[in-house]
Amino acid sequence: MIKNLPEELFAKGLITKDQFAKIEPIVSGDVISVFYELRTLLYLGVMLFTAGAGILIYKNIGELGHIVAIISLTAIMIVCFWHVYKKGPAYSNEVVKGPTPFFDYILLLAGLLFVSIQGYLQFQYAILDNNLATSTLVTAALFFYLAYRYDHVGILSLGITSFVSFWGISVSPVKWYSGNFFEQSNLHVIAILLAIVLSSAATFLHQRGIKRHFTFTYFNFSLLMFFCAAVAGLFIDESIYGIYLLLIYAGCAFSYYAARSSQSFLFLLYAFLAAYIATTFFLAVTLHVFSNEYLWFWYSILSCGGLVYFIIKFKNHFRQSS
Amino acid sequence: MKCAYNEDALRRLEVIKEAKRWAKSTLISRDQFAAIGEEYKVSLYHPNLMIRLLLFMATALGLSGVTGLFGTILFSEASRIFICLACVLYGAGTIVALEKMFLKNNHFKSGVTEAILYYASGFLIGGIAGLADFDLVALTTWTCIVVFSFAAVRYLDLLSTAAAIFSFAYALFYHLYEVGGIAQRLIPFVFIIVFSSSFLMCQKLRKKKNLLVWTNNLIVAECLSLLLAYCGGNYFVVRELSLNLLGLQIEEGGDIPFAYLFYTLTVLIPWLYLYFGIKKRDIILIRVSLFVFAFSAFTFKYYFSLGAPEIALTLTGIIVFVIALMLMNYLKKVRKGFTRENLLSEKWAAANVQAFVVSQTLGGNQASATQDMPGGGKFGGGGSTEDF
Repeated sequence: MIKNLPEELFAKGLITKDQFAKIEPIVSGDVISVFYELRTLLYLGVMLFTAGAGILIYKNIGELGHIVAIISLTAIMIVCFWHVYKKGPAYSNEVVKGPTPFFDYILLLAGLLFVSIQGYLQFQYAILDNNLATSTLVTAALFFYLAYRYDHVGILSLGITSFVSFWGISVSPVKWYSGNFFEQSNLHVIAILLAIVLSSAATFLHQRGIKRHFTFTYFNFSLLMFFCAAVAGLFIDESIYGIYLLLIYAGCAFSYYAARSSQSFLFLLYAFLAAYIATTFFLAVTLHVFSNEYLWFWYSILSCGGLVYFIIKFKNHFRQSS
Repeated sequence: MKCAYNEDALRRLEVIKEAKRWAKSTLISRDQFAAIGEEYKVSLYHPNLMIRLLLFMATALGLSGVTGLFGTILFSEASRIFICLACVLYGAGTIVALEKMFLKNNHFKSGVTEAILYYASGFLIGGIAGLADFDLVALTTWTCIVVFSFAAVRYLDLLSTAAAIFSFAYALFYHLYEVGGIAQRLIPFVFIIVFSSSFLMCQKLRKKKNLLVWTNNLIVAECLSLLLAYCGGNYFVVRELSLNLLGLQIEEGGDIPFAYLFYTLTVLIPWLYLYFGIKKRDIILIRVSLFVFAFSAFTFKYYFSLGAPEIALTLTGIIVFVIALMLMNYLKKVRKGFTRENLLSEKWAAANVQAFVVSQTLGGNQASATQDMPGGGKFGGGGSTEDF
């Protein structure tokens, strides 16, 4: 922050007097926002509480304390849903601001408690045929409904992850170390199909003007899943790797288009990594170029240097217009 | 030492960035932002974060090719000393190339510059440390301090700043450890004194006009100083380091020396940070205090567990949630200069980032690989089924 900047801009006539009066206390630190700090605390609270409650439900089953715990959690969930239902704003295709700053977190709490309790009931009384997959689908459906009804991107992303987990895929780049994305055979094919379905659905909704601010999240998960699956496919189905190569290039074209239209160059980052691996794989398999180590060094220098040159040369192409 | 950039250009860039945040928070209009951008036009090449990451990765990959080429052509059979000297020269040469090729062309933290800088730092440090066959810890550490400080001061690099501070903390620890005896016992207190004074010093420096370009470096230094000072007083850190590095033996029922002092400090320091944070309206202190509160809670939980972690989790969750709700209610109006409203949007706090965090930290992420296992399911705690 630059001290005296508001004064300087005001003196130059670039901001008005009202704006100066608003901005000056913020820049000088006379008013300090703890917006993000409070939200982090709320989020931490929800996270700790639902994590604890999730374990609580399955411990000491059959004891009195256990039943009390279930009943009180259900009561909390009902209160939360009731609050959301009463206070919730009307549906709109655009961004909807919650009525209170903590509305989003009550909604999140309600949804997560529902998952815990529903999982418990099913486990205990086999309501849903004791089929875990069905319950995942129910969870996903609830999350999608809540996300669209009350405009909550966080719950949307939970909905997407539980939807794809119904098909056996775990989208968790954070937990990449804990093992393979695709432990079962053919999962990578399912992942590619799912990614195409999800991103097509997102594109369709986007064009219809329904919740355009959700599109990024759909694309993000789809592209991550798509590229990971396609790169895995290169190595798994080596005999038909050409198909995956073409898929990756098509994905890159789509990423480029998505990055340009959504002004988020994160997608380009995914595309670059996938394309680089794929192209290197292609050159190694077909041309055997890397039997000679000099060629390998020249390849990395020229390809990367070329890319850097390209990005800098066409820098206006990669600029956020906002 | 001077910074490698034109200070006027940096200030213009900073003005534009600041105005962009105002525009995003609708404090000023888009047209006004455009007018400010015109008035403070600057020719620095400073792309957005993702493009920077992309350029960083591409440059790093390309540079590894350069090294490989040089390495295999020139030094396949050279002696160690020769290779180390070559590394130092190569590192220095890379820095020169950075200045002549990229900084001259108005690159400012473009991703390319960071990649080259870290690469050069690595070669300088590795080369010098290698001269002593990596045996002299003091030499390696001090080389790190010098090289990282240079990178931090001249190129305003934040990661280098953090690296320089950590190297310094390590040097402090290492030298006191080498002296042995009473000096080892004093390490926690030296840390508290050194880093709390470095925090105060950074705060003073941040107010100086001629040091304006280093503001962000000083903020990083402030945060790390606070954290390191806290670590000096934290019971967990002191106890584990004493046991593992200083060879302290604790008898049954015994405790580390000055245990009660460290318990007190573990509790006291977060409150102290919070108190001064609120009193001086210093958001850095407040943020660090929240972080160290969590670490203090962990420390006590680690040594004085009452069993039943799920109850502790649930209760902590409720308490944190209720405190946050109460504060939100309290700060409806501006009180003592604090407000719950979002005055300026933070770049890293976009809704999409938050959504990603939610999806990665809360449930819904376990692949249900049970479709082909009818009646199965991995739910439930251990032994829970036997009751029925």
